[in-house]
Amino acid sequence: MTRSHPLARLLLVATIAALAVVPLFLDPFGYALRILCLMLLFGALGQAWNIVGGLANQISLGHAAYFGIGAYSSTILFGSFGLTPILGAVVGAVLASIFALLLSIPTLRLKGHYFALATLAAGEMARIVANSWTSVTGGPVGISVPFRPEAGPWALQFETALPNYYLFFAAFLIVTLIFWRVKTSAFGYRLRAIKENEIAAEVVGVDTYRVKLQASVLSAALTAVLGTLYAQFQFFFDPDTIFGVATISVKMALIAILGGVGTIFGPWVGALVIIPLEELANSWLGNSLAGLSQFTYGVLLIVVILLNPRGLISLAETLRDRLSRRNGQ
Amino acid sequence: MTQKTKTTLLMTRRQALIAGSAAALAAPLYARSSFAQSNVINVGVIQPLSGANAQFGINSRNGIQLVADEINANGGIAALGGAQINLVISDATSNPTQAATVAQRMMSQDNVVAVLGAFASSLTLAISEVTERRRVPLLTMSFADQVTGRGFRNIFQVVSKASALGGATVTHTRDLARANGTEISRIAIMYEDTAYGTAQANGLRNSAAANGIEVVMDEAYPLGITDVSPLINQLRRTEAQVVFPVSYLNDSLLIIRNMRQQGITTPTVGGAAGYIIPDFRNGLGDLSENVLSISPAAYDQAPDYTDRFRDRFGYFMVHEAQEHAACMGVLASALEIAGEANPQAIREVLASTTFDQGWATVMSGGRIAFDETGLNIHAVPMMVQWRGDELVTVAPSEYAKAEAVWNA
Repeated sequence: MTRSHPLARLLLVATIAALAVVPLFLDPFGYALRILCLMLLFGALGQAWNIVGGLANQISLGHAAYFGIGAYSSTILFGSFGLTPILGAVVGAVLASIFALLLSIPTLRLKGHYFALATLAAGEMARIVANSWTSVTGGPVGISVPFRPEAGPWALQFETALPNYYLFFAAFLIVTLIFWRVKTSAFGYRLRAIKENEIAAEVVGVDTYRVKLQASVLSAALTAVLGTLYAQFQFFFDPDTIFGVATISVKMALIAILGGVGTIFGPWVGALVIIPLEELANSWLGNSLAGLSQFTYGVLLIVVILLNPRGLISLAETLRDRLSRRNGQ
Repeated sequence: MTQKTKTTLLMTRRQALIAGSAAALAAPLYARSSFAQSNVINVGVIQPLSGANAQFGINSRNGIQLVADEINANGGIAALGGAQINLVISDATSNPTQAATVAQRMMSQDNVVAVLGAFASSLTLAISEVTERRRVPLLTMSFADQVTGRGFRNIFQVVSKASALGGATVTHTRDLARANGTEISRIAIMYEDTAYGTAQANGLRNSAAANGIEVVMDEAYPLGITDVSPLINQLRRTEAQVVFPVSYLNDSLLIIRNMRQQGITTPTVGGAAGYIIPDFRNGLGDLSENVLSISPAAYDQAPDYTDRFRDRFGYFMVHEAQEHAACMGVLASALEIAGEANPQAIREVLASTTFDQGWATVMSGGRIAFDETGLNIHAVPMMVQWRGDELVTVAPSEYAKAEAVWNA
């Protein structure tokens, strides 16, 4: 962002402006708006994952645990005590932070795939708890956010999806901003030192354990808030989805990795590609050749990864390099 | 120079690949140009056509298709000038978020007048959050108590709730045993640790407790289990009088085969799903004989209708197909009465009418009427038993087509 091309800056402003204005022209109950909402949500999720997965290269496959904690906290508190999900989100973020702390104590000392596997197991653990603790979570059948249109905006209950859209949009921008602040701060440099070489980072005096812990907690808290927003948008979820490996954990990582891991706009591009791709594959093939839609989606992902191992954002870099070279000549 | 040419070539190939993929994906958007004729009524069908529940989703779709084709062949909806039913079918996968997205798509792009679906309760619940807000009726055969337990106005459940099915599983079993001179006091439950298995097991446990029956074995096992012999050994030790296994197809085959090979003849009562589809018989052969199962509907109750399914698709009308066919039948009748393809007009008719014509009669109870929560008050859980290649209703007694065989 520091040495960004003027064209890139223009593109950024145009994108944000378009995201702010376009939904006003869409059917507020409609399908297109829903897809945009999901894109923003998953973009924000990819970005939250990027803090710990991208900057520090701690490949977590258990972020669904935080997402689910956020969703369940606000939904249970709203359903049982009428507490507004706005406060529920705060409670969820605190609980997710605590869970991240507890989980980090044993797992952050693990390296590489061992860390990935341990976080994967943690996410599964959360799923099993939610499935079994029926008295609180409603068990395997899932839980609904009570439909109380009269409760109004204070309870994050809206007639249309438009306010949801702007909530997602705000969250998306805020998480991106946080990521940018982290990345460009001393904290971010420490994280990247860990990514490059953890031992070397320790040698030069980085408290790697502490830095990773802080990043994990921050990432967990943001993910939990997004979980609450998702619950208020979807109104129903069950343990298998909200704590799902494929539906949440891997998707978060995939969006960041496909777009460009550790980059600011990687998750933007990742969400921009993956969500519509999945949707088009389903709407196109979902009737006649049901299984093929997932297959096509998978094949296209492989193609993209093969073409651009550094993520789609690298296409933009190539373009920028070429442009500046041409300008230089 | 050669280097340069090579790079250019490579880029072109990449670009071509990307462009090709984009074009391939965009094509259906043009092909989609929907049925713009006015004399077509779009009905949404959302089913899990891929993933773990695909077989059940396909059965469901077949049931709906059969009824829709019959209506169209007989001149469509007469009250609407012979309007044809056009099914807008979509895959819900196994993901509730996807199911809700699909529902949204159908309502805003295809203007469906009602939605039928979606087998798995989690999918149906997710869809209902969308249909309720857009005031489009949703007709379903998902069992979960939550479906009609949330005070929604636009959802209609044609089957008994899960709690009623769980209760009936235990009471029907007790009655069958009694008729055979056995009083049930000790039962075993084994279930896969999925959402479906856990929920069903819970229903069984509650109803056993309510009937003063002791659960002497209550064991969860992981989905995709490969060795069930420890489970079966445990079952043997507990000396349960009847065993309730809850599972989809593969585990059910393993469990029954292992039990019979070990010479355990304890009567076995399955929890629908894998226990009452033709593949169960195909996988077990004679070992399936006399296995019991609960079923929310039974095809031998309405052979005039269900035989048409068999003629067309080559297998007996499994319960999910039958119940979804009933949903389509009810919807067609509601369209005839309402006289307009308006979701809210249809909703009013659904909420206030007793449906006792055509495909509505195939549901257990012979007719369908919905109470204020949207639950079909006439639905009766059936107990069925394998006899050769067929399922036969053995309880409750007023619906029974044959005497139950108690000891397998």
